[in-house]
Amino acid sequence: MASQLSFAGFAWKNLWRRRLRTFLTLGGIAMAIGAFVSLVGFSRSFEHEWLRLYSSAGTDIAVSEKSFLNTSLDESVGIKLRAIPVVDRASPMIFNLMDLTPEINAIVFGFQADSYELDALTFLSGRRFQKGHPEVLLGDVLANSMSKKVGDTLDIQGTTFTVVGIYHGGSSLDASAVIMPLDELQQLTSLQGKVAAFHVRLKPAPPGESQEAYLKRAQAEIEAALPGLHAMPAAERASNNELVGMAHAVAWGTSSIAMMVGILGIVNTMAMSVFERTKEIGILRALGWKSWRIMMLIQTEAAVLGLVGGLLGICVGWGALRVLSVLPQTSSVVSAYVSPIHLLEALGIAILSGLVAGAVPAWRGAHLSPVEALRHD
Amino acid sequence: MTSPQLEVRKLCKSYDEGRIEALRGVDLSISSGEFLAISGASGSGKSTLLQLLGGLDTPTSGEVLFENAALGTAIGLDDYRANRIGFIFQAFYLLPTLNAIENVQVPMLALSESPRDRAQRAEALLVEMGLESRLKQYPNELSAGERQRVAIARALANNPSILLADEPTGNLDSVNSAHIMDMLVGIQQQRGMTLIVITHENDIANAAPRHIRIRDGRIAS
Repeated sequence: MASQLSFAGFAWKNLWRRRLRTFLTLGGIAMAIGAFVSLVGFSRSFEHEWLRLYSSAGTDIAVSEKSFLNTSLDESVGIKLRAIPVVDRASPMIFNLMDLTPEINAIVFGFQADSYELDALTFLSGRRFQKGHPEVLLGDVLANSMSKKVGDTLDIQGTTFTVVGIYHGGSSLDASAVIMPLDELQQLTSLQGKVAAFHVRLKPAPPGESQEAYLKRAQAEIEAALPGLHAMPAAERASNNELVGMAHAVAWGTSSIAMMVGILGIVNTMAMSVFERTKEIGILRALGWKSWRIMMLIQTEAAVLGLVGGLLGICVGWGALRVLSVLPQTSSVVSAYVSPIHLLEALGIAILSGLVAGAVPAWRGAHLSPVEALRHD
Repeated sequence: MTSPQLEVRKLCKSYDEGRIEALRGVDLSISSGEFLAISGASGSGKSTLLQLLGGLDTPTSGEVLFENAALGTAIGLDDYRANRIGFIFQAFYLLPTLNAIENVQVPMLALSESPRDRAQRAEALLVEMGLESRLKQYPNELSAGERQRVAIARALANNPSILLADEPTGNLDSVNSAHIMDMLVGIQQQRGMTLIVITHENDIANAAPRHIRIRDGRIAS
């Protein structure tokens, strides 16, 4: 069978001609897309895990001051909060990121011993802590990575705690976390009487009222009863909290810079390629190829660079996430899960970047005069 | 009397803001199926005339008519080059990344045909050129004569009605030159195509039934 020449095959042969340059360009795009997949994937999984943290415990609303990074909310607010008719349970909490060893850091949550949030944990061994005792619970992932079991001790910021329980939580955030009595964490951080937020579980919605409408009403009632405080639905809190916001901003900022570098790489490759092939473009024009077809050829080459670079980048990014998700230093906040939509988004961005980067060289190539192009050396 | 296939009226082409006048009012009629040789010294304007006849460039003034339709206005230059004209160049201008049969398929990519049909037609053309054993050779693996035969097959790919050859034997030895010219004349006669050859070789020019000389941008004889 005679070898058939397709348009895409022609484009690929043009890229294959300069293998080293093509591979270097692919490397640049792969790194950029890898950064996007891993960083944005990390920030989204971080958000996702926050949501799971709330939903696994049955938290409907989080009440805090403007920022829950400030542990400045008076614990006594809980009395007023629990008196609001729609509120079933209100659990004060603090959290902090602390070094447990020079290599391992973890989120440390402070909850009351009778917090409903502890009900959602599955105890693999041991029991709950007791108020006023230097006791901690460890998530199973953290306990494994630190080789700790019930009865062992753990030094946190100069205080020795006894591990009294190992639990499995509903989110990778608490699976790699430490939970200790609220008063112990307040003391450890010198924030006696202060909390970061109250997690609220609402009473069931009355018949005839939708969950959404009930949530809005509850939110309004809480904010009316506690002026100056914000009551935010858990899903909104998960996606809108400062930590997630910072993670998103850093991820998108860094990825954007990486993408700019990747795009410049494709621009350079395509511009060089068009310059080197000026005479060939003239031949194609002489053979009856229209400007738009020349443009399509160059854009196809640029898009193929984006597509192949994007696929490589997805492998790189996903690999990086998998590594980060098992490293002790990062496993508490990184999950290896990447949504298919995120991967499609990465591939779309890669192809779009190729097209954007190829646009100017393609336009230039397409508008060369055939005679001038044929004269080019 | 039948109307000419190609007609050139008061054709002028200047470059460098009018400082260089390559063609100065050329009038020419070419009938369908004619074999015309155009000769002239280097810089006489013969290649410029070929470029304008082939729709590669536009005149500064005057017009080129194909079957009474003005190029560039009544007929788009791209469509004209794709469907009516087959170019053969002195330097062959084969694409180095493609093998012989792929090179012949390049003009067909501009038309809507199935890849299988394109490949079959390219193969038939190369067989016609005596290159059945060289289908998958790349240009750098072919001799100069073979390259020019691939270029002729490529020029015929879209069944043009006019073959424009710019010094087609300029890079060939005498044996290959004679072979290529025999081939071109054979194609012209068999297919009833118009063949316009630019040449500075008297043997080739004199072998053509019609021969015009260009001097200083004008037809001298």
